[in-house]
Amino acid sequence: MDPKEDYRIQSFDPETQALLKTALKEPGSVNLEKVSNIIVDQSLKDQVFSKEAGRICYTIVQTEAKQSNGNVFRRCLLNRLQQEFMVREETRARSVQEWVCFVTFICNIFDYLKVNNRPMVALVHPVYDCLLRLAQPDALMSEEEVDCLVLQLHRIGDQLEKVNSPRMDELFFLLRDGFLLHKGLSSMAHLLLLEVLEFRAGGWRLSSTAHNYYYSELAD
Amino acid sequence: MSCRHRNGRLNAKSSGDENRNHVPSPWSQCRKRGADGHLRAKRETGSCNEKQHRRNESADRHSDIRHANFTTPESEGPVSRCGRQVDWGSQVENDELTRDVHRDMHRYRRRILAAEFTQRERMTSSESSRESPIPTGGEMETDEAVLLRRQKQINYGKNTLAYDRYMKEVPKHLRQSGLHPKTPNKFKKYSRRSWDQQIKLWKVKLHAWDPPTLEGQEKDLNDIEELELDDVMDIELDFPTLPDSQSRSACTTRSITSLEDDDCSSTPNKVMKTEPSLEPHTA
Repeated sequence: MDPKEDYRIQSFDPETQALLKTALKEPGSVNLEKVSNIIVDQSLKDQVFSKEAGRICYTIVQTEAKQSNGNVFRRCLLNRLQQEFMVREETRARSVQEWVCFVTFICNIFDYLKVNNRPMVALVHPVYDCLLRLAQPDALMSEEEVDCLVLQLHRIGDQLEKVNSPRMDELFFLLRDGFLLHKGLSSMAHLLLLEVLEFRAGGWRLSSTAHNYYYSELAD
Repeated sequence: MSCRHRNGRLNAKSSGDENRNHVPSPWSQCRKRGADGHLRAKRETGSCNEKQHRRNESADRHSDIRHANFTTPESEGPVSRCGRQVDWGSQVENDELTRDVHRDMHRYRRRILAAEFTQRERMTSSESSRESPIPTGGEMETDEAVLLRRQKQINYGKNTLAYDRYMKEVPKHLRQSGLHPKTPNKFKKYSRRSWDQQIKLWKVKLHAWDPPTLEGQEKDLNDIEELELDDVMDIELDFPTLPDSQSRSACTTRSITSLEDDDCSSTPNKVMKTEPSLEPHTA
């Protein structure tokens, strides 16, 4: 099991990679606040990393809990996430890519960092807020954002609905409206939205016929 | 989730009902803080419309800062009672603590009931079944706020180097009652003072295992036994097997479980002597 492969830390410089590897094995021996900042900073820049950063976070949290019954890392991570969440509108105005990375990252954390096998309560509303933002008309204009939105729904849609169904309804009202009424949507955006509408309607699964329709001609 | 729902209903009400009487919304009464995280000013039951207006205002700002006291579908009440903890780290910790406490409570109840059943089977008809009273229902501490507070206090004691060293040095099966520090049982009814005192004494004892500057004390307290109450399955319900301590404990109060048998019956240790006097206190 190569940590580089599993945790996608190839993009870090060697010194940081070493730090992360140590954090994975002996979290008590490193500055966890620093580690959490490194991870968050990178997630906001690196799309590949942001998609799977939850894994490395999960491992560090588990290891710290096991070794010292501590949750310093989790606390630092969550509070840093909260700070980024508070300024998300500014982030989006400055760089759509960074905003998309942030959403990907927070959803990944939601997916991986569970408490007693349940999603963390503190993250439920913020995640919804982010997705609802992506479903706004201005965001639907950008394929990058639409793509991010449907990706997150594929990954965590069912979990999100389980913990708060009314807000998922709220989100899908927006998506339907966007699909039907938005004049400026690209055909790709239309396709992505239609697929996710069908996906949810099918209980977060795509029927085989729908799958053929959407994916038989798309490259993986 | 429910926070948003209530906002929606309140908004609808305020816009539609000018003649609303001055009954303040019960929901706004129990929230120390507005949705923006700031402490509410103490208001008299004055204008209800003013409150509604403020609610609407804070609802608009709502999306920026999460309110700390959501009642989620899974929880049985507000997850965090203290409005101060708006940060996600604390929210998650409190949620985790609450779930752990509830889980512990269920396990404890089951074990008590199972042990009670076993005990009754073993008792002969000549012995009074009231000799070893077991707390069920009303005799067990079930107030969530109390349990959370107690668990936090226990956690402070356990997150110490001393506790780590103690755990490593004295395996559970080698612990002896009376001398080894014993985690107070959060499920028993005690007064606040009594409980705080037990915690204090427990932590004092744990200091014996502080890292090397306190070498002298360690030898004395090596044989003290401790019960791990965060893993409730380890609680020693030993009344079926220790008849002598069992009968002694029966002399104190009905609400004592055999968990405290060892404390009040056998210890010669000066510190431990205070515990029996604490036992009869009820919450």
